Amino acid sequence: MLSLIVFMPLVGVLLLLFVPGSNHRAVRWVALLAALASLAFSLILLGYDTGGSEFQYREDLAWIDAFGMRYTLGVDGLSVVLVLLTTVLSVVAMFYSWEPIQTRVKEYYISLLLLMVGMLGVFVALDLFLFYVFWEISLFPMYVIIGVWGGPRRIYATVKFVLYTLVGSLLMLVAILAVAIAHAASGQPFTFSYEALRGFAYADTLQALAFVAFFLAFAIKVPMWPFHTWLPDAHVEAPTAGSIILAGVMLKLGGYGFLRFSLPLLPDAAVSFAPIVIGLAIIAIIYGGLVAMVQPDLKKLVAYSSVSHMGFVMLGAFVFNEQGLQGAIYQMISHGITTGALFLLVGIIYEQTHDRLIAHMGGLNARVPRYAAMFGLFTFASIGLPGLSGFVGEFLVILGAFRANGFIAAAAMVVVIISAVYMLWMFQRVFFTVPSDWMRQFWPTLRDINRNEWIALAPLIVLVVALGVYPGPVLEIIAGPVDRIIDAVNGAGLTGFGPLW
Amino acid sequence: MTYVDDLVTLLPELLLAFLILGIITTDLFLSRPNKWLLTPLAVGGLVLVGAACVAVWDINETVYAGFYRVDDLSVFFKASTVVIGILSVLFAPAYLVVRRIPLGEFHMILLSALLGMFILASSSDLITLFLGLELMTMPSYLLTGLHKTDRYSNEGGLKYFLLGSFASAIVLFGISWLYGITGTTNIAEIAASGLEGRMGGPLLVALGFLVVGSTFKIAAVPFHYWTPDAYQGAPTPITGFLSVGPKLGAFALLVRVFAEALAPIRADWLGIFLVLTVLTMTVGNVVALTQVNVKRMLAYSSIAHTGYIMVGLAAFANATDADGAAQGIESVLFYVLGYAVMNIAAFAVVGMLQRDTRRFGGLNSFAGLGSRSPARAAAMGVLMLSLTGIPPTVGFFAKLYVLLAAVDAGLAWLAVILVLNAAMAAFYYLRVVVYMYMRDPEDDPAPLDTSPFGTVALALSVAGVVILGLFPGAVLSLIEVSAASLF
Repeated sequence: MLSLIVFMPLVGVLLLLFVPGSNHRAVRWVALLAALASLAFSLILLGYDTGGSEFQYREDLAWIDAFGMRYTLGVDGLSVVLVLLTTVLSVVAMFYSWEPIQTRVKEYYISLLLLMVGMLGVFVALDLFLFYVFWEISLFPMYVIIGVWGGPRRIYATVKFVLYTLVGSLLMLVAILAVAIAHAASGQPFTFSYEALRGFAYADTLQALAFVAFFLAFAIKVPMWPFHTWLPDAHVEAPTAGSIILAGVMLKLGGYGFLRFSLPLLPDAAVSFAPIVIGLAIIAIIYGGLVAMVQPDLKKLVAYSSVSHMGFVMLGAFVFNEQGLQGAIYQMISHGITTGALFLLVGIIYEQTHDRLIAHMGGLNARVPRYAAMFGLFTFASIGLPGLSGFVGEFLVILGAFRANGFIAAAAMVVVIISAVYMLWMFQRVFFTVPSDWMRQFWPTLRDINRNEWIALAPLIVLVVALGVYPGPVLEIIAGPVDRIIDAVNGAGLTGFGPLW
Repeated sequence: MTYVDDLVTLLPELLLAFLILGIITTDLFLSRPNKWLLTPLAVGGLVLVGAACVAVWDINETVYAGFYRVDDLSVFFKASTVVIGILSVLFAPAYLVVRRIPLGEFHMILLSALLGMFILASSSDLITLFLGLELMTMPSYLLTGLHKTDRYSNEGGLKYFLLGSFASAIVLFGISWLYGITGTTNIAEIAASGLEGRMGGPLLVALGFLVVGSTFKIAAVPFHYWTPDAYQGAPTPITGFLSVGPKLGAFALLVRVFAEALAPIRADWLGIFLVLTVLTMTVGNVVALTQVNVKRMLAYSSIAHTGYIMVGLAAFANATDADGAAQGIESVLFYVLGYAVMNIAAFAVVGMLQRDTRRFGGLNSFAGLGSRSPARAAAMGVLMLSLTGIPPTVGFFAKLYVLLAAVDAGLAWLAVILVLNAAMAAFYYLRVVVYMYMRDPEDDPAPLDTSPFGTVALALSVAGVVILGLFPGAVLSLIEVSAASLF
């Protein structure tokens, strides 16, 4: 089942190899159908039994026996929600690309489908080696998407993106090997199995070093301050669909990494390093908000707001209580949906004016009211208006932070106000003031959201409201993983630094 | 067992020797338009030699009074050599023909070098070892200078010859000191002669000369200066061969000398090896970063890869138990094979873009290749990712193996240096991808060579790169058996 979800897009790629590249229509349909098939299979995961065993829909095949690498897949609640987020947003991104992408269409869809394979694989792999393979596979399609279909400075942006991520992930590879070897050194069989490796008492020095390596890989992906500088560049240059996937799913690979690997695998180090991580998260939350406020470019503004929002995820993850962790996961889902939608909406106006400067907008509410309404919806969701998805995550994170330390919560609280400032100010300048001279030249040709864009937006609209009004099912499905993480870190902590292993 | 019976174990060598003679003879009777027939002849012959390698697998015998050893390790090296030979023979002709370089000579010289590698891999005595080394490198000098009318080819050939003979002399000198200390040239006897604890003047001299000479042959920093010029001067597909063939031979030499003969004193040579390893990786990558000529870039990057392979040897030397030591050697074997396939093909793609003889393999000739020739660009893309070390390719698994051996042997810091180097290398490998896919073609794009032999070989190499990266299991078990013949 999981293999079907992960490799359906690959089937699409193989089919695409036999479709002539000049037949854009066929290419688009094949790609979309492959993604839809993956989405359809992923819906089956909704049947995840919260009362059942931890990892369900397991698949376990021998792969490279010499090193104990196995093809092990399985999902728990955390994986389920992220897999669904990935399939939904991928389909949205593909659907949105229908008209904007007109050059090298076949290569474009091949990249998107491969990207999907990598991301889905990361979320379902239960073998650390397999996880790493998928992690790297997800990197290069995005590199191509930004580099080929991106904006004027795309090559700089994409190379920066790849090099940043690669440094982190290669260090993580060394850490994975070190952890597996330390586990094997105790007389256990050599394995990369996640379930075998976690819960093993690694020496403190190894934990600390491995944690730093994992941290770098995931923190660059999230991205946490001060490793975030690739993100604004990548977002500004990426084509719209690339931004949707990048913000919607790829940043979650980092958050997922922390929750799935850093915490349960290296709990002692995680607990001991938590104050530093929380400090960086607070800086990211505040810094991202403040910088977002002064951005002249719409995409850059949303990009920096991502830094701030993902800071909430990190904060929630490292306060180690139920509310915080649930909030972190919920915030990831919500951020994926709202930011994905915001990038999509920015893309709609960009396709028409080829400009994203806020100063060049103005008064759009009069010309394209439906567009304005939708933009408003997701702006409010991003701020965290009660009744929309953003509220639940932020509220839970702050609640969790309060239980840990009032001052931390207060600092995070301030940013909720800052986020209202930058989002609403932006909204006002784009939609309500007098149209700029620049915008007036497009005035006669500006169009509202068209049918395709509605279809692309529809699932996001439904989700953002549904998750805001009725968070129960999601919270229920992620309760299990959250409890396990809390069990793992409970009472953990580094005691001293001995020999490496 | 009589000498004649022992001939059976030499079946691959004998077949290869006959093949060389066959090529020379056939060449005499072929008119110029028919010379291309030499290529299928050589490939067919090499396939037979490969089959003979399979036949001598699992024999593990020392023959001819201890001078020659057919163990699984040597068979693995020979089989890899055959792979390199087949790819080289397929890639080169198209490039050579447009430059009017005679095909008969090329085939004959290349196959002689392969025979040298065979002998080198199988030597159980330092005399045989040196013979094999010379039989491998002499043809390599010739191959470098094969383009007689080209100044760069001449320069490269001459440099390679002068410095190479110098290094051979140094190796020989080291061997003679070792003989003076131990009274034997037999590798097994040297290993058993109780060198441990006899570290002192004479042994230090022997070790010094052997290290310098052999690291020269693998082109490790700071003995790498001949590499860029020789690699740039040589005809491009031949550069592909030079960057992997003699390197494989030289690593066979390193394994035989350092991991077999001098294994008892590995703690003594480990230190200098660590220094050279770090230098080699880092300098190779830093200099490769600044190259705008892909051929030269690949030349420097091959130095960096030498460094990665040396990490495996360092892991062997630093390992505390036999398993860890074996893992170090295994990682060297896997890396050498994987690297051979991907690098030879990468050079070949550069060569395909040099159909116009005035092209020198600059980055510009790759501009827009993604739209001009999607299949070749995709192949080159896969090869670049593999050289960077990105899954699911053989380059990734090779790096992983080396890393694993290093971490297991307690050299985690070396592993960290390796991955930082790999990240640096990503920059220049990906620059080729940037040019292929993210830039528009030049006004006057380089014409592409589309000869069938080259295309087949490229498809084979890319398939090999991906399949070995995804399912290395079968090769891994062969390598395990091969490395076991050392312990």
